[in-house]
Amino acid sequence: MTIGVKKVSLTRTTRDQIFLPAIFEGLLTTAKHFFKNTLTPGMGDIETIRYGDPDVDVKDYYPDRFRGVHRLMYREDGSVRCVACMCCSTVCPANCIAIEAEDRNDDREKAPLSFVIDELKCVVCGFCVEACPCDAIRMDTKEHMQPTETRAEAVLGKVDLMSRGGPSVAVQGGVSPDYRAEAPKADPRFSHDPR
Amino acid sequence: MTANLRYLLLSLFTLVGLVLPSTGCGDPPSGIDTQLEIRTEPGELVFHPETAEIEIAIVNNRDVDLFVGDFRIEGPDWQSFAIIDDIAASALPKGAKISLRIKANPGDFVGPGEHRSAVRRKGEASGKVGHNEFRVGKAQLVFTVSEPLQQHESFTQSVQVSFEDPSWWQQYALPAAAKILMLVMGFIMPLASLLTWMERKQSAMMQDRIGPNRANIRIGSINLRLWGLLHIATDGLKMLFKEDFIPKRAHRALYTLAPLFGLIPALVVFAIVPFGDALCYDGLFDTLSQADVDQCAAGRGGTAMQIAHIDVGLLYYFAIASIATYGTALAGWSSYNKWAVLGALRASAQMISYEVAIGLSLVGVLLVYGSLEPHAIVHAQMDSYWGIVLQPVAFILFFTAAIAETKRAPFDLPEGESEIIGYFLEYSGMRFGLFFLAEFIEVVFVSALLATLFLGGWTLPFGLIGASGFTSELAAQLFFAGGGALLTALGVLIWRTGPGGELVGGAIALLGLGHLFLATWSLATGWGTELPHLAIVLIGMLTWGLKILVLCWLQLLIRWTLPRFRYDQLMSLGWKSLLPLSIANIVLTAVVVFFMMPSADRGDQGAKPVRDAAGNPLDARVQLVDPSAAKSVRQPPTRRPGQ
Repeated sequence: MTIGVKKVSLTRTTRDQIFLPAIFEGLLTTAKHFFKNTLTPGMGDIETIRYGDPDVDVKDYYPDRFRGVHRLMYREDGSVRCVACMCCSTVCPANCIAIEAEDRNDDREKAPLSFVIDELKCVVCGFCVEACPCDAIRMDTKEHMQPTETRAEAVLGKVDLMSRGGPSVAVQGGVSPDYRAEAPKADPRFSHDPR
Repeated sequence: MTANLRYLLLSLFTLVGLVLPSTGCGDPPSGIDTQLEIRTEPGELVFHPETAEIEIAIVNNRDVDLFVGDFRIEGPDWQSFAIIDDIAASALPKGAKISLRIKANPGDFVGPGEHRSAVRRKGEASGKVGHNEFRVGKAQLVFTVSEPLQQHESFTQSVQVSFEDPSWWQQYALPAAAKILMLVMGFIMPLASLLTWMERKQSAMMQDRIGPNRANIRIGSINLRLWGLLHIATDGLKMLFKEDFIPKRAHRALYTLAPLFGLIPALVVFAIVPFGDALCYDGLFDTLSQADVDQCAAGRGGTAMQIAHIDVGLLYYFAIASIATYGTALAGWSSYNKWAVLGALRASAQMISYEVAIGLSLVGVLLVYGSLEPHAIVHAQMDSYWGIVLQPVAFILFFTAAIAETKRAPFDLPEGESEIIGYFLEYSGMRFGLFFLAEFIEVVFVSALLATLFLGGWTLPFGLIGASGFTSELAAQLFFAGGGALLTALGVLIWRTGPGGELVGGAIALLGLGHLFLATWSLATGWGTELPHLAIVLIGMLTWGLKILVLCWLQLLIRWTLPRFRYDQLMSLGWKSLLPLSIANIVLTAVVVFFMMPSADRGDQGAKPVRDAAGNPLDARVQLVDPSAAKSVRQPPTRRPGQ
């Protein structure tokens, strides 16, 4: 068996050999960018987002599916939605969620006595959000975990997590029976969507 | 003098946009006095011990035909000066020029340490002349001027003639020190450090990035970022405070010396770059002629705007520039690092190869302009065309080879930061900073040399400006209108870039509007052909600086556009392309120069007054020279007298 080798002829034209026309073309291209970017109002072609500038809000630029710091949602009466089912801590690949359950005293559900997420261990995979049957844990804050001076400060407890949270009106214990109708329609731009 | 003061004031007032009352301002610049005084070039004759003779031109700048004669020398030291030419009384039609030569006998004057008894002057004490005293002598060249019809009513006019032997340090050291300080501290160093910022910012702009913009200074509540300009200062501070690391097995002495070998030659070569014609100390606010300025350039009553006015000129540059090779070679070798040695080898091979092309590519320029001295080359370009027009091939060849000499992309193999870190691999802190700075100083120098040899140095294109002002009113109007339009457009563009640009853009636009105002002012009054000497010098220096800035920008553009050559490509470009092309350019130029230049077999050009074989004055000595024709006729460049 022979291997077919494609032979590419490298014949150089005179134009290639004297370099200069190609060099001038290149210079023209870069000079065009230079003048456009320096002299156009609004930075021309530069698309850099200036994170950290006081007048720039990072959240405006992040997509909706961006996974930020966790938060715990609460019910209409202000109590935590979490029922301490341990789904999230079970699914967590980094093993960063530690939940201790307690009795809720309403004859139906449990509640977390403590709900601790070690943000230093978290790999920001979002599995906990997927696993949660109660819409209790979310990662839609669009906040990065800020650096802390001690490790302990990066370990967020129930109070910290709930302070970022908001009310959720989802049906407790899972979605309602007609969840298919209520689910948002698939984005028509993605025609390959299996739904 | 009063007229010049008026024009100085006038230009000042127009700059701030004030409109003067029109009385007296609309007069033509050469208002005719009722006296019969006529102009001489130069206005004052200063002899030095090495000056054999000085030629003086007497120009009839009146509107009437005149008659001059009775030339003699009077004054305390009249015996020590003599008129060489035996000049009889002669007619001097309006606009005409008469030349005569004067010589001085330096031996007649006493110098430091000599006895005063030799002095013929009365009223001076005897004794030894002190070591700090100069040898001086004063006299006047006197002649009578009259209108032909009224010869009985003649007037005498005198020109100061003096002999000066100033001390070495007053004549050379002080001006040189002042020029070095001004050029190095006022131009090269600021521009080189600006280039460190410009390189980063410009590359960012070319690649659609933002570039450095974080360094800021806080004054009260205002936070100034200035487009990241403050990174220059922060970079310098960073360099100074970094650890000064020396490898354990490095050769400490050479390791310390190498950055200096890189930096010092880069700075020293600037000695030959002229950044202006000449500065006359006494006539700053007067309108001076080219002859006056030439006297100042030769060191009489002024100083050439060039640190070292040496005849070897470019040879000095070739000699010093090759010393910079030691910096790279020693840095690589003394670091005791394989990669650094590789970088040093590459640097040595590359710089030696390209120095051949650099030298040979400039020979064509030297052939055309007939001088090695940059100041004279610029003058020759003033009289004919710019080097880029006469020697376009040499321009490209020299530019290419010079970029290779600065060791920057696309010829940055000695650095090659992606393969070997380069000859300065082990250097840190300010030692590395010196290499870095030397590279940018070389960029500035290459720009300065290109501007001097190919782009007319400090002169404006098309001979727009001469020693006494713009060559015509149209030139002044063109200059101010064109410059004003450009500046205004630039200012508006900068204004529109954002909130930070409003102040700068506004200032530039205002400056542009001022220029436009001057253009209309010139259109209305015919102003601009006679400017104070200081204004001419400043315009020249600004032009020079602007050319260098544009060329630096071009070099950065090239550096951030072209990828690095491979080593064999580099060598074949140097030896197989640049070298043969530069030799071909030399041959072609030599042939063309030999056949096309009328001066090729003539020695003397006819710029000097006509004399017969015996040196006797002819009647044709009174040359009718149309000042406007002299500029427009493109004469092949000649050696200026005194060069």
